[in-house]
Amino acid sequence: MVTETLTVMDPAGLKAIGAGLAVGLTGIASALAEKDIGSAAIGAMAENESLFGKGLILTVIPETIVIFGLVVSLLIIQ
Amino acid sequence: MQLLQKFKLGKSKKSPSKGHANYAYTTARVRAMKSKILPKETYPRLMNMSIDEITRFIGESEYKEDIDELARIHDGVDLIEHALNRNLAVTFTKLLSISEGDVNFLVGEKLKKYDIWNIKTLLRGKYCNASTEEILEAIVAAGRLSYSFLSSLAAKGTYEEVISELANTEYYPILKGYDGTNLSDIENQLDKMYYAGLFGTIRESKSKDRKLFAEFIRMGIDLKNLVTLFRLKKSGIADPEMMNLMIDGGLRLKHRDIEKMMPLSFADFVSELESNPYWDVMADVVRPDMVSLIDIETRLKKHRLKSAASFSHVYPISIVPIMDYMLSKQNEISNLRIIVRGKAANLDDDIIKEQLVI
Repeated sequence: MVTETLTVMDPAGLKAIGAGLAVGLTGIASALAEKDIGSAAIGAMAENESLFGKGLILTVIPETIVIFGLVVSLLIIQ
Repeated sequence: MQLLQKFKLGKSKKSPSKGHANYAYTTARVRAMKSKILPKETYPRLMNMSIDEITRFIGESEYKEDIDELARIHDGVDLIEHALNRNLAVTFTKLLSISEGDVNFLVGEKLKKYDIWNIKTLLRGKYCNASTEEILEAIVAAGRLSYSFLSSLAAKGTYEEVISELANTEYYPILKGYDGTNLSDIENQLDKMYYAGLFGTIRESKSKDRKLFAEFIRMGIDLKNLVTLFRLKKSGIADPEMMNLMIDGGLRLKHRDIEKMMPLSFADFVSELESNPYWDVMADVVRPDMVSLIDIETRLKKHRLKSAASFSHVYPISIVPIMDYMLSKQNEISNLRIIVRGKAANLDDDIIKEQLVI
């Protein structure tokens, strides 16, 4: 007698993987974008300290990418 | 991307690149430095000041440290002259210290001009038996050779000792041919070596940045050749031998075009220029009966500055903004020097204004 075993992927697990990817990949993307902006901001600040505020704001702008990723992952998990 | 490139290229890199180059940091810093360059509105104000007022004015700007330091040794025009030289040296060595990798390498190649300038000054000084102080006054340590090393060379008694001290540098193969009489020949060879070095760095790599650097350098060569041509033609020299004064490798003014223009008279040369790519830049100042070449030279310099500035907007994160800054800084210093020297010689304001590149 032949027995066949069926493996079915748990939808909850797939959702978790999707959510993880959403946060992980957007995190990498933010990091890449912030790397150059951050070093440029430090360069400008080394010459002119009053640029600290502007530099800080510009550096965290790409942070929105990972926030979107986080939102999407929360939506997936729900 | 740089990580990917590193994996792709492995260790078989042919270019003399020295690793990671943080363009974002260097260009942002250089742009901040450029914002401190004197705006063009300053020059008419400087024209209305006396030399002491100018000293005070620049003593309150970026040149403060230099003026403060040198004020106890020099005064008047000499003080400004030395402060300008010192500032140039400090600024350019700063560029070397804040950059890394490829940027550092390219800036270093460009700054070899000052190393060569200093070696020439040393040899000329020794040639006419100048004192150590006199030689040191003319030294601008803006390249890779440090001021302390150069001052130790200036203290040497003869040119042989100077050359033997430079045995470990790349200039030695040329310098060892110096026998005390062929100074101009050695100087020409050093200059050509500078350009050969620049072309060497350009040829070996195909990266976008090196190409931009190449374009920038080759345009400089074009304009330099044009100025030399104008001067030769103005003094009526048509000797084909003079071709060895021309630098090969221009961008839009090819060597064979120059060869064609060499035997012409000044009037023919001017009419031939009308088909030249740089004609638009100088069309309204070039006349077959012109007396002075100052207008043309300032016009060409201005064109170079403008094109460097617009280039640096097109390629904001590359070597171009750095080169643009170096040009603007050199120009600022030469303008200040023109004003101060002109005032010291009691020149008419109009004559000084003609010379300024604003």
